[in-house]
Amino acid sequence: MRCELIEELLSPYLEDELDQEEKRAVKEHLKTCKNCSLLFSYIKETRESLTGFPEMEVSENLLDRLYSIPGKKKRFKLSLDFLFQPSLQPLLAAVTILVMVVSFYSLNPDRNRINKSISRQAHLSYSKVGKLYARAETFVDALGEHKDNILVSVKNIPLFGGNED
Amino acid sequence: MLVNTYSKRIFNMSYQFTGSYQEAEDLTQDIFFKLYNSLHKYDFEKNFSGWLSTIAKNYLIDRYRKTKWEKTTRDDFDEYNLISEQFESPEERVVKKENKKTIWEGLNTLSTEIRMVIILRDIQGKKYDEIAEIMDLPLGTVKSRVNRGRLQLAKILKEEMEMKNEM
Repeated sequence: MRCELIEELLSPYLEDELDQEEKRAVKEHLKTCKNCSLLFSYIKETRESLTGFPEMEVSENLLDRLYSIPGKKKRFKLSLDFLFQPSLQPLLAAVTILVMVVSFYSLNPDRNRINKSISRQAHLSYSKVGKLYARAETFVDALGEHKDNILVSVKNIPLFGGNED
Repeated sequence: MLVNTYSKRIFNMSYQFTGSYQEAEDLTQDIFFKLYNSLHKYDFEKNFSGWLSTIAKNYLIDRYRKTKWEKTTRDDFDEYNLISEQFESPEERVVKKENKKTIWEGLNTLSTEIRMVIILRDIQGKKYDEIAEIMDLPLGTVKSRVNRGRLQLAKILKEEMEMKNEM
């Protein structure tokens, strides 16, 4: 086997993860190749060095910082919960629409035109209601003496709780 | 409870990855903050320790890509790292210390993914299937990366030794 191929097998060889044939090939190669044999010894040394790094202790300062995290998060979460309560959603939607309308009105350069338009629409609506009321009165007058009979007939319709008698 | 059980592990993982004590403290705090924000996503059928290691791994690699720690050097190699070991002679102690220093500094030359698998496998001693789960990689890819990482570090060590021998 060539040295490049053997290099790839050195680490699994160290961990005894090769099959019998590969293991034998590496073993034979290491006996005859000085470079690969030296590299293998450095791989072993590398692994020993890495394995020998002991765990560091956590400082008191870091522990204090870590213990303080849940408290901070809880306060933050509570404020969010309050804002996103389902019961507040219609109110938030209404406030949003109101803010949009007020912003549109107050920031619009043609505010005078909007005022005039609103005033005209209000006036038209008022006169329409007045006309409708006048027509209703005329209708009631036209019914005259038949008004009471019609009312009794309407009350007797089963739909409104009366009987057919 | 989470802090008591896992702070040491996360801090050490951050320290081994960055090589900076100060940076590791800040990152550990960030990772715990992220953990608390992700607890609702935890699948109770999964191993918690592995899940936390995945969060830490993702955070460390993401932060590395954003801040490019490879430009900074690692903290000076601390002799504390040798205290627990027994040596046959003072000469052996000096050689081992020099080798560890070279490997410690060499960790920064590895790509993030390879450095992480080396830390998980050789420093923390995790099994290959655990690493595959943490890294979300196929077992073969993990083994291949461990192999490449060890080879790269071994070659750095070899060059260092050859350079010293020539002096």
